[in-house]
Amino acid sequence: MLATLGMAVGTGNIWRFPRIVASNGGGSFLVAWATFLLLWSVPLMIVEFSFGKRARKGTVGAFSLLAGRKSAWLGGWVAFCAAAIMFYYSVVAGWCLRYLGAAVVGQLRGSESDAFWAGFAGSGSAWLTHAVALSLAIGVVWFGVQGIERVAKVLIPTLFVLVVILAIRAVTLPGAVAGLEFLFKPDWAALGDVRIWLQALTQNAWDTGAGWGLILTYAIYMKSKEDVPLNAFLIGFGNNSVSLLAGIMVLCTVFAINPGAKSEIVGAGNEGLTFIWMPQLFDQMPGGQVFMVFFFLALSFAALTSLISMVELVARILMDAGLGRRQAVSIVGLVGLALGTPSALSLAFLHNQDWVWGVGLMLSGLFYALGARKFGVEKLRREVVNGEGCDLPIGRWWTFLVAVVVPIEAVILMIWWLWEARGWNPESWLNPFLPESVGTVIVQWTVALVALLALQRWLGRRPVAEEGGLDP
Amino acid sequence: MSGSAVAFMIVVCTFVWGGFVLLLVRAIRSERRKSRND
Repeated sequence: MLATLGMAVGTGNIWRFPRIVASNGGGSFLVAWATFLLLWSVPLMIVEFSFGKRARKGTVGAFSLLAGRKSAWLGGWVAFCAAAIMFYYSVVAGWCLRYLGAAVVGQLRGSESDAFWAGFAGSGSAWLTHAVALSLAIGVVWFGVQGIERVAKVLIPTLFVLVVILAIRAVTLPGAVAGLEFLFKPDWAALGDVRIWLQALTQNAWDTGAGWGLILTYAIYMKSKEDVPLNAFLIGFGNNSVSLLAGIMVLCTVFAINPGAKSEIVGAGNEGLTFIWMPQLFDQMPGGQVFMVFFFLALSFAALTSLISMVELVARILMDAGLGRRQAVSIVGLVGLALGTPSALSLAFLHNQDWVWGVGLMLSGLFYALGARKFGVEKLRREVVNGEGCDLPIGRWWTFLVAVVVPIEAVILMIWWLWEARGWNPESWLNPFLPESVGTVIVQWTVALVALLALQRWLGRRPVAEEGGLDP
Repeated sequence: MSGSAVAFMIVVCTFVWGGFVLLLVRAIRSERRKSRND
């Protein structure tokens, strides 16, 4: 149970959710976000769990085995997308580590946190902490996870409890009600904006891990008597619960301390929202310094455990292709260090990557649905989802969601987005050098898809290991 | 805080947090049942 709760807390909830909800209209965003929990994330998490549990292979091997060798590239896309996120995620994990160090030595005092962020983000120090975070994750995957698992089981629930305490404190600050109003005031007209739906889907996938391949990789090591549907629902609702708490925590603090902050927290450039404002919340609390150390310690652990899962995911693909564990982990480390460097040194680049590969999770979700259709969604439901160990049998509604609703959601959102985007910036919507344009998404996705299709025969032909499970 | 924001907050929080608590209770019961059977 603790492990499941542990999966419910991460930087996706605490770093990403508050800034995305701030940039996308608060209340109206929450409508789309909660809709996608039920109509996107939970059904796809069930697919991921059952793929991993059935195939006992990484994403490429699982798609190859269950959907046919010609579908191996679909699993390749899932892994590529997760790897691309990993490259900048290690930068964010490095930020958490740096803030832990700063909290310990008392460098983060109230309003000074703004200047601290400005001096740190995008600097050489940020590259150094990216390297440290990635090295720690590589070390854990290299040497084994036993010790870390025990510590994470204490620290991640601690983070959960801290977020609850901090949200309560934030709500009771004078003026915090403006934050609640901003977060929960529904603007129904805004639901006609495709960007809100696109970001809501992306954020829900970020919160829950739906479509990343992480759950599939975790499920490789599941015991056969472990349940699939209840775990998927629990992780989905648990993650969204923590995100909502984090949104309340950050936005109430922002509006209580600086009522005119709305223009500062909306849009590009708000990557540091949580890092700038949380130290200011701790400043308003008795014993805030101690709480701050615990908060960044636990946040660092949450970030590192997620980073470890990403390294394991990518390494697993290489291991399925025949490499030894240490060889695979070394390659992931070196490539991650190099390709994470631009995000470490430029917030604009990190923003671009978060946009391109965040939206890429929508394509990953579509590919999972297509893979399940090829295997037979109903067959998957009967044989794996409702098979051995099932605590919460699910009906044919899930088959309908995966086979019909998820693909329709992805296709409609994609077409709607392309159609609307032409009108936003007629001159520049296809410019691939702008951080948040359609052009940058199309160019980067095309490069990845062409590479994967070129490798398709190799991906589908590579011998995969006979047995799942951790190598000795 | 406007009435619509309060109403909307109650709906969203009940759905997300209420759903999580119900699922957690269900999961704890299932784990206990499985442990007894083991």
